[in-house]
Amino acid sequence: MYSFPFPFEEGQSHYFYKNNAVQMKNRTTVQITPNYLKEMKLKRDTIIKNPERCFVALDHTYEAQWEATLYIAKELALRYPDTFTMTSRKYGFTLNNHLLKEEVRFDYKVNKEPLNDIGKHVQEDLILMFQREGQLFLDAGQLCFPSNWSLAFNKGMAFMDIHRPVPGFQEGQLDRRIERFLLHLCPGDPFERSNWSLMAGETLNTHLETFPEWGKKRYSVTEDTVGNYVHVRVEVQKLHRLPKTYTILFTIHTHLLSLKELSKDLNKANQLYTILLSLPKPIEEYKGITPYKSHVMNYLEGVL
Amino acid sequence: MKIPVSVESVAMETNDIKRFRIKHRFNEPLPEIHPGAHILTYLPSNEGVIIRPYSLTNRTTDGRYEIAIKLVQKSRGGSFRWHHSVTVGTELEISFPKNILKPELLGRHHVFYAAGIGITPFLTMLHWCKETGRSFELHYGASIKEECLFYGYLKESFKSETRFYFSRERRKERIDYYCSLQRHPIGTHVYICGPPSFIENIINAAKNLGYPRERIHFEAFRSNQIKTKTSPFKVKIEKKCVPVKEDQVLLDVLNENGLSIPYSCRVGQCGTCEITVKKGDVLHQDSFLTEKEKLSFMLPCVSRGKGLIEIDHNSLNLI
Ligand code: HEM
Repeated sequence: MYSFPFPFEEGQSHYFYKNNAVQMKNRTTVQITPNYLKEMKLKRDTIIKNPERCFVALDHTYEAQWEATLYIAKELALRYPDTFTMTSRKYGFTLNNHLLKEEVRFDYKVNKEPLNDIGKHVQEDLILMFQREGQLFLDAGQLCFPSNWSLAFNKGMAFMDIHRPVPGFQEGQLDRRIERFLLHLCPGDPFERSNWSLMAGETLNTHLETFPEWGKKRYSVTEDTVGNYVHVRVEVQKLHRLPKTYTILFTIHTHLLSLKELSKDLNKANQLYTILLSLPKPIEEYKGITPYKSHVMNYLEGVL
Repeated sequence: MKIPVSVESVAMETNDIKRFRIKHRFNEPLPEIHPGAHILTYLPSNEGVIIRPYSLTNRTTDGRYEIAIKLVQKSRGGSFRWHHSVTVGTELEISFPKNILKPELLGRHHVFYAAGIGITPFLTMLHWCKETGRSFELHYGASIKEECLFYGYLKESFKSETRFYFSRERRKERIDYYCSLQRHPIGTHVYICGPPSFIENIINAAKNLGYPRERIHFEAFRSNQIKTKTSPFKVKIEKKCVPVKEDQVLLDVLNENGLSIPYSCRVGQCGTCEITVKKGDVLHQDSFLTEKEKLSFMLPCVSRGKGLIEIDHNSLNLI
């Protein structure tokens, strides 16, 4: 049964940064939700239109891409046996996707971008982080549903540099501590965390490159449309250390829920309201909430 | 997560080193491994479970792991158990393979310095270098040929890349690190494994020669991890005060008392189990924290308190 991953901890009443990653009990990388078909279509359309925005890979990432691909395919076949079957072959495997009614061959000799290929069967964005000289670098990834960032821009970039735009992230050396935590991530012991924001509209493929198209929606929110139009955007992020190449597989599953839907649960509406009240201005601006925040607050007050 | 395994075969490698082959209890292939990886072994005994880290010397094509264990003189725990009560069929648990050494993917040249049993984590790394066509060399010191673990194998598989140094053979030789380190091209990554003095000397030599810290990798000699003399102390968490006996590890005591501090290497090297100390004196034994960090943090897998220490409970789930 699918339920929206509400991002706040029980009792949390204000906004603060910490390493909110927790050990994952079920050790999964991906999740199939009722939106699967719709999102697979959007993902594939986005890739076809702008492949350079959606996939990057440096040369040395090939082996790790394969490891990640196998890791995900095995999980799909194991956890969703009615939906996916996997058959080993001499130079790879065949994946049968019964939802999409596809049979896809993954061949070591043919698939040069296996991560990009397996990504076309899961709703998650898939990022691979490589450890070099004590730092982590984003050297490969498939990204179709980003929250306003650019894969092409971040290609080959270090973890610390990637997070430079996040306000307050360097305070108390949080960025360093999180990087150290990641450096010590071990195979068989994955972690997960969630990230949240609000967005005007219901667009998943919000690349930085197309900001002019979707960003202006922030200014079109009105008192009447806010409930249906503004969405809580939650990214469920999972961190796995792959045992063979020691690459970190970072999967991001983006979920959207309108304020109206969320407000059916008054406790949740109340907690969102409280946290928005305490949201520091720089973070509010970073998340892009400022232009329509007053509408959101008024709406939630009306509900509560 | 722990994997249930059993011992498939045992072989005497040298006078005091045994090699064990381990298989999944349900015959599944064990996870693939990263070069340089080790596992934690959880061996049941009358005195409770004995947890020890051992390097994987090999993962066979059918998914078995191999480890080599040297019988440590005066050992009461790990190696004694392994040598005297583990036989074919013995059941135990192991961790997923973990890695401290981690070969540098884009390193230009890889140089391995091993002393004695310190060769064990390098076997999979040497194999990886060879298989992927990387440039590498091994400098391996032992007392005599007969005591030299994997001598025949190394001579056969890595003949042109390996140089042996025997300190008690007729022609006595020791590794001249300075001379050796000076010859490596810029962009070389150095990996060191052996007793503490061996590691320290090479690290110092490399630093003096201007090697960047990130290009020096090392792994503490495992059998030396058990400090002979330890004293009991007390630890305070929130309002609770718990005693830690001389033969107990603080990390285990904390976890037995309801905390779930993640850990990995258990030799004070990876930093995973880092906790914040509020009050009290700490006897630091790790090789991970910087001097500055030692003022507020500790690694409970190896470090201990003096008298009474207090732990910051709030910091525990942060990292
Ligand atoms: C290792 C994989 C990770 C990657 C590739 C990654 C990547 C990113 C990127 C691209 C952004 C957007 C930056 C921008 O605005 O340009 C971001 C934001 C952020 N990241 Fe990460 N991240 C990773 C792991 C983590 C972890 C482990 C944490 C915390 C424990 C974290 C915390 C954050 C936070 C708090 C933000 C700001 C998001 C917001 O407030 O909306 N990240 N990350």
